[in-house]
Amino acid sequence: MISGSATASHGRVLLPSHRERRPVSTGSNILRFRETVPRQFSLMMVTKATAKYMGTKMREEKLSEMIEEKVKEATEVCEAEEMSEECRVAWDEVEEVSQARADLRIKLKLLNQDPLESFCQENPETDECRIYED
Amino acid sequence: MAVSTIYSTQALNSTHFLTSSSSSKQVFLYRRQPQTNRRFNTLITCAQETIVIGLAADSGCGKSTFMRRLTSVFGGAAKPPKGGNPDSNTLISDTTTVICLDDYHSLDRYGRKEQKVTALDPRANDFDLMYEQVKALKNGVAVEKPIYNHVTGLLDPPELIQPPKILVIEGLHPMFDERVRDLLDFSIYLDISNEVKFAWKIQRDMAERGHSLESIKASIEARKPDFDAFIDPQKQYADAVIEVLPTTLIPDDNEGKVLRVRLIMKEGVKYFSPVYLFDEGSTISWIPCGRKLTCSYPGIKFNYEPDSYFDHEVSVLEMDGQFDRLDELIYVESHLSNLSTKFYGEVTQQMLKHADFPGSNNGTGLFQTIVGLKIRDLYEQLIANKATARAEAKA
Repeated sequence: MISGSATASHGRVLLPSHRERRPVSTGSNILRFRETVPRQFSLMMVTKATAKYMGTKMREEKLSEMIEEKVKEATEVCEAEEMSEECRVAWDEVEEVSQARADLRIKLKLLNQDPLESFCQENPETDECRIYED
Repeated sequence: MAVSTIYSTQALNSTHFLTSSSSSKQVFLYRRQPQTNRRFNTLITCAQETIVIGLAADSGCGKSTFMRRLTSVFGGAAKPPKGGNPDSNTLISDTTTVICLDDYHSLDRYGRKEQKVTALDPRANDFDLMYEQVKALKNGVAVEKPIYNHVTGLLDPPELIQPPKILVIEGLHPMFDERVRDLLDFSIYLDISNEVKFAWKIQRDMAERGHSLESIKASIEARKPDFDAFIDPQKQYADAVIEVLPTTLIPDDNEGKVLRVRLIMKEGVKYFSPVYLFDEGSTISWIPCGRKLTCSYPGIKFNYEPDSYFDHEVSVLEMDGQFDRLDELIYVESHLSNLSTKFYGEVTQQMLKHADFPGSNNGTGLFQTIVGLKIRDLYEQLIANKATARAEAKA
């Protein structure tokens, strides 16, 4: 897995296995890990990135909409004149919004952090901090 | 380990007492001057040392995984500032603060559209403010830093940033301005080749309804002129460059999953000793897989050699392939030298801590972790050096 994707990703990752435990007399914890990891395995990770608060859900949707809009806009602007300044700026906006969308996905999926977490602890009564239910 | 400087300032009252404020590490000394009209108090400021690290990469502050690996080497997890603007780009841990340089945009998204400049263009960034604030933080002064909101595209009200022990500035232009460059104690450039960039952006964007293969390609092409003109030239100033290229082990691979990663380390940088394989300054080609270690396809290949990069002497450590199992990683670690680890297996332990991060099984994760350890080493050496210099000055 190189970068986050929305649903599933194949990757070989290193995770210690807790199934086999053989006592090892050497000092280092790392060497103990060596004894417990199985020979070879690949892991398919399917993690669903879900927002906890309404505010985050709204941001996700807004960013996705913006990507669609801005791609359309950029395609139109660049049809008129390729490699013009307007064309470059339009695609740069697409990149900015795509990256913001991906960052939000990474935060939710990899780090299990809703960006509104600390804000919502201080302001639980706001609209943004309503719990999002699927 | 504290630097103390003494200032004399005008006082509102003059009483003879000593107070101290632990948060700002300042000691106020008031002295009574009954004879004269002049009243003054003496301000003693004890500041901690702050080192500044610059990280240049495309896609602004999206390097969350690199940053988290870096901050985890120093201990503690980096989190956004508590209770502030939820769209803040800043990350704070016990020792480290990471600032996103997009916050120094002088033009917001609408301004840039109007002026017809991309975010890559230096005209969209306020380098004077960047220089002033980085300098202030380096000297132990807190700053009110603007926030660039990537969702709305607007500049939000500023947030207060306290001077940390380690300040990381990441973004598109950390080494662009000469004055800011001089403030950096260490700089890193993340150089992703076009093929890998394309593969990563496909993985990043294909799930979005707005995107297609054509739109992703067009976006990369359109940004290329500004990128080559303004961002790419910064790599000549970097102390370490992490170059990410497609693998040579799989013919015609275009998935970008197996990577060839090169760690280009500048020679002669103060407090920075490059990592080497077996014999420093020689040329080594190493395939660890063999009788003692079995690897699965496509295996692992290492290279180490001295080289010249933009007229600088460098050492290049290269890894092609991926790690499948823990013992491959520890086997590789045990053969590398000058890692600046504090104990055997520290690199492996750090990689394991973030096993679910992208790049944990290849050179990107490995070299990011090693760079983190090098920065920790640099910090400790710098602090020790400043302490002895002060002790000598007193004597």
